[in-house]
Amino acid sequence: MIEIKNLHKQFNDKPVLVDINLSVPQGQVLTIIGPSGSGKSTLLRCINLLEQPNKGEIIIDKEVVSNSNIQKIRQKVGMVFQHFNLFPHMTVLQNITYAPKKILGLSETESKTRARDLLKLVGLTNFEKFLPSKLSGGQKQRVAIARTLAMHPEVILFDEPTSALDPEMVKEVLQVIESLAHTGITMIIVTHEMKFAEKVSDRILFIDHGKILEDTTPKKFFSSPKSSRAKEFLSKVL
Amino acid sequence: MNFDSIIYIIEGISVTLQYTLVSIIFGLIFGVSISLCKLSSLKTLRWFGIFYVSIFRGTPLLVQLSIIYFSTPAITNYNISVFEAGIIAFSLNSAAYITEIIRAGIESVDKGQFEAAKALGLSYKLTIKDIILPQALRNILPALANEVVNLLKETAIISVLGGADIMRRANIISSEHYIYFAPLITAAVCYYVMVVIFTSFAKYLEHRLKIA
Repeated sequence: MIEIKNLHKQFNDKPVLVDINLSVPQGQVLTIIGPSGSGKSTLLRCINLLEQPNKGEIIIDKEVVSNSNIQKIRQKVGMVFQHFNLFPHMTVLQNITYAPKKILGLSETESKTRARDLLKLVGLTNFEKFLPSKLSGGQKQRVAIARTLAMHPEVILFDEPTSALDPEMVKEVLQVIESLAHTGITMIIVTHEMKFAEKVSDRILFIDHGKILEDTTPKKFFSSPKSSRAKEFLSKVL
Repeated sequence: MNFDSIIYIIEGISVTLQYTLVSIIFGLIFGVSISLCKLSSLKTLRWFGIFYVSIFRGTPLLVQLSIIYFSTPAITNYNISVFEAGIIAFSLNSAAYITEIIRAGIESVDKGQFEAAKALGLSYKLTIKDIILPQALRNILPALANEVVNLLKETAIISVLGGADIMRRANIISSEHYIYFAPLITAAVCYYVMVVIFTSFAKYLEHRLKIA
């Protein structure tokens, strides 16, 4: 369960998020949609404090997120980045086993077994000895998802996971993300893939100029958006 | 200039190497410590790091060396040897440059690497040790090799205080025989050969690192 209360964020006096209130129950798949610069990535990055909010509270599992407990909280709130951010000096397998070994205290064998299961899940069984530089963008992102899953997160934040990919690699990544939906993990996804959002989400958030303009089901959002800004946006992207 | 004079100058290599090696070892120890200060979350330590680098980069090495050599006996009553003064001055000076090399190396690592490590819940210490430093090393090593070469050449300053290094020996021969060209060229060749040997070794290391 994630709760966001009165969240404000500004960059050099420019407001990016204005009084955001949001509550996401465990297991929900929430997609955040909006034009670029609307604040959707910033909202995502405020949840695990990669950005410091200027005002407001974030509460995860009844704990108010702060700088003193953030390291613990990040261990159950995974994040998948637009640019993958795999560790380039480690093999695929090491990328996945590193954090569970160092943080969760898993043994070498435990972490490897888990990593191999995850590589199977993302369809990269034979790639464990590869360095990230030898992988395609789609493969890198699937490894990054496996790396996040290895920590057994309760929540995964997806920050435009397919925006840096070549078009023909988007699908393989979306399929993996889709397979994780409704397995108990809370997923908050920032994406520009509208068809995917419609198919996979329980709930859509439409943000513009740092405000939530729509908070509804995918069906309602895509068939009959309420705000004129959302109508205009959808007419351009669909 | 006879053969013995040439041998006499060449034997200075061992002295020059002693200064270089001992100073670079201490320089590395201090340099790593001070760059940790600069990365620290404590403001006082950060300020100390900035202050240190600014002082030692902002004044000539010869001045630093002279202050250490000539004022230590007056202030502490300890009769400092030329070797000790040289090692202290060279280590402290090169520590400042090594600090900056390490800082630049760490800053050259993609910001996304810090974020990925943070998002996994890694501590700052583990992030630096296992994620950032191994990547920074690729940028740090070539610059560090450069610093070793610089230091090796700069140790010639010790001849001013009478340390019997290559340069000092060349000067002695010059004034004994009233010839300058041959002894000084001999000294130059000594330095050059050492630098070339070291540089090719560093290149080899760099190459191995790139493959790994």
